[in-house]
Amino acid sequence: MNAFAGTVDRYAQTPRRVAWAGIVVGTLAFWLALPPVQARAPWVPIVVGLLAVACGIWALTRDVGRLAWGAVAVGLIGIGLGVLATRSSTGHLGSVVTWGSLIGSTLVWATPLAYAAVGGMVNERSGVVNIGLEGMMLAGAFFGCLGADKFGSWEMGLLIAAAGGAGFALLFAFFAIHLRADQIVGGTAINFLALGVTGYFFIQVYGQNGTPGDLPRIPNVNIGGLHEHTFFGDAIGHLNIMIWASFVLLIVAHVGLFHTPLGLRLRAVGEHPRAAETVGISVYATRYVAVTISGILAALGGAYLSIGFVGSFGENMTAGRGFIALAAVIFGNWRPFGAYAAAILFGASTALSFRLAVYSDAASVLFQALPYVLTLIAVAGVIGRSIPPAAVGRPYTKQ
Amino acid sequence: MADTATPVLELRGITKRFPGVVANDAVDFDLRKGEVHALLGENGAGKSTLMNILYGLYRHDEGEILLHGKPLDIDSPHEAIAAGIGMVHQHFMLIPVMTVAENIVLASEPTRGNVLLDMSAAEQRVRELAERFKFRVDPRARVEDITVGQQQRVEILKALYRNADILILDEPTAVLTPQEAIELFEILKELVAHGMSVIFISHKLNEVLEIADRITVLRRGKTVATVPREGATEADLARMMVGRDVLLRVEKQPASTGETLLHVEGLRVVDDRGLEAVRDVSLEVRAGEIVAIAGVDGNGQTELIDALTGLRRPAEGRITVGGREMTHASAHQFLEEGVGHIPEDRHRRGLVLEFSLAENLVLHDYAKRPYATRGFMSPRRVLDKARRLLEQFDVRGGTPSTPASALSGGNQQKVVIAREVDRDPRVLIAAQPTRGLDVGAIEFVHRRLVEQRDAGKAVLLISLELDEVLSLADRILVIYEGRIVGEFGPSVTEEELGIAMTGGRREAVA
Repeated sequence: MNAFAGTVDRYAQTPRRVAWAGIVVGTLAFWLALPPVQARAPWVPIVVGLLAVACGIWALTRDVGRLAWGAVAVGLIGIGLGVLATRSSTGHLGSVVTWGSLIGSTLVWATPLAYAAVGGMVNERSGVVNIGLEGMMLAGAFFGCLGADKFGSWEMGLLIAAAGGAGFALLFAFFAIHLRADQIVGGTAINFLALGVTGYFFIQVYGQNGTPGDLPRIPNVNIGGLHEHTFFGDAIGHLNIMIWASFVLLIVAHVGLFHTPLGLRLRAVGEHPRAAETVGISVYATRYVAVTISGILAALGGAYLSIGFVGSFGENMTAGRGFIALAAVIFGNWRPFGAYAAAILFGASTALSFRLAVYSDAASVLFQALPYVLTLIAVAGVIGRSIPPAAVGRPYTKQ
Repeated sequence: MADTATPVLELRGITKRFPGVVANDAVDFDLRKGEVHALLGENGAGKSTLMNILYGLYRHDEGEILLHGKPLDIDSPHEAIAAGIGMVHQHFMLIPVMTVAENIVLASEPTRGNVLLDMSAAEQRVRELAERFKFRVDPRARVEDITVGQQQRVEILKALYRNADILILDEPTAVLTPQEAIELFEILKELVAHGMSVIFISHKLNEVLEIADRITVLRRGKTVATVPREGATEADLARMMVGRDVLLRVEKQPASTGETLLHVEGLRVVDDRGLEAVRDVSLEVRAGEIVAIAGVDGNGQTELIDALTGLRRPAEGRITVGGREMTHASAHQFLEEGVGHIPEDRHRRGLVLEFSLAENLVLHDYAKRPYATRGFMSPRRVLDKARRLLEQFDVRGGTPSTPASALSGGNQQKVVIAREVDRDPRVLIAAQPTRGLDVGAIEFVHRRLVEQRDAGKAVLLISLELDEVLSLADRILVIYEGRIVGEFGPSVTEEELGIAMTGGRREAVA
């Protein structure tokens, strides 16, 4: 049986690789029409795109299925967007597509999502669905401002933000874990509660004037010597500390989840809590810790938004980013690198949508919907199906 | 081999009360070093309660537990593990998506520098353990990819890894094929030879007699007796278990067969993964005979049953019932044509567990007279029918309004059989009708099937139990990898059947 499966795998490898190559080539079709190459002849993206479609069709005839359809789709989209790009003026293209600053702003938009997504992944891995990510993020954004303002330092801002997120997370955990309330309902309640609480204190503390203009901000890291370089200077020359910290978080999350005993236990609790309990792991304690971690991370994402990037707080300023982070968890197949990559992709679509607003508002709005479309595609299983932890969303009853 | 001097473990006067029931009533039990001690009893006799107390999942109300002569308080599985007690649950406590090694070391993982998981050390430990006890398991395989028998070995390894010297196995053979059961017994012998002590919970007489050194029989929460294997017979044990004489072999007259009622020709059926599960099966069942399909689980039986009851469309071939073309008929049409179906999985397909017994008993006919007129159900007639059937089929533990989930497995099965038999079908398809039942209930089910045969019905029995096949069938077909590979008369030996079931020999299909 195993030998048989092995043979099948080996035969399946080549067409799968070709399908992946098709996807890459399809992307290339679009890229060639953009700066800096900026091919102006429409036949360039068409020829390259057709090559991608051909790869897809070849793979289709060898039973690759979803991935091959992906290559065909990417090829066609590449042709479409590529031809569009060749027909718009070079001036427009130049102002929208400047790779360095595009990468920089992608990272800026991706970072709040990345923190919340890594947090959301941790609690989903423990078997708890945390719709309340949005509320915890909002709490972080507000308490970050409050802390930075009252204590006069951004470090204290982050600390207070983390405490605020942890508080909402513990409240949610108590309902979802101890009282075994429905996690979706509980999380939704947390979102509204956070909206109310932050709105109330915002008006109480800051009234009509809003947060002060001289809030201590989380500083950027200016890398000397990169300033002159257009590409690297714009891309990574002056990123916020929190962006660099998110790279560290990613590594820690990956190692922690897959290469430590604690990660193994966390995953065990999310897959089969009863089995974990019979070997002496406390399901409740594990889930409390996981939910608290997610609350803290979501709050840090929110605090980055308020005191790192924008420099002020506004009511409901997270505006659904917690939900996009949840989508990133699913799109990233419940893995740290996956969730982070999804956050980057969604960040890129936001960054691009702001750039596109320069010459088309409609296209900009369309791009903002991209994360959700991509998530739908991921859930439908175009590129390998997303498989959630087996016990996710199910309250656990101790024996 | 058992060392008679020192009891490793002793339970004295254990009493456990649940609201309304005494699950264990002053139970005494002792385990010696290096023995297999079987705990035998019907479902609901208190075996599992007793073991859950020992494993720290329940607290006993009275009595004491002595480990190596010293009193011991076990409050949680954690403490049981620390005391050297390991348990293999009936429903495995394994995480399907994780590897064998990950499952085994979970919660006591080897580490590097106290922080990082050391999976290669874990795999090494697992390999060493498996080698010491002479069984094979791939530490890197994912649990969902290995067979049920191998999963059970992983459970045993989990206990061994935690240095258990007492191993509790809760109905370990319930999920195994006969071949896997034999392998399990080999492993148990090896464990005992290494000085471990095993508590083997079962309600199957033959395997208890095969593996146990001593046998303690529980009935209604009380210890009936503890007897050595030597001199014990199946009949004695059954009497102790049930409290009366039990017929272990069904008594039946030779079959007097009539016309062919179920006819299958060249049937091919595809399973959920799109693979061909039933390959070119032809068979016929005549009125007044029981035809058994014997085979190891997963050789196409489920798909065959599905096709014969309208739950799955055959890819090719023909099915006729009483001469009528039924190949592409729906489940409803099969019912209307007089095909009764006792499903393999009574929880998922036989009953709606949340529904009352009365509702379950009219699941097929609720919309017909006399149970409904002009679209309205008649509760009184439904209840009358339920009362009559519960009485006639001796269903205990519930009234017509009790939810089906509240009944024991044996009584649930009686409800399914009552519903199917009461419709007076021409063809009765019984799929593993005694799975998980104890001797008393098995006797009841077997008698009913033979009654149906004698009443001129065509009975198709699909079973994994060779005992059952041999004692009931008038003709035996062996299925292997979706094909019928042999036909035997009722006088065939278990060995011959066993060989055919594993594909060892092919005979011409009659």
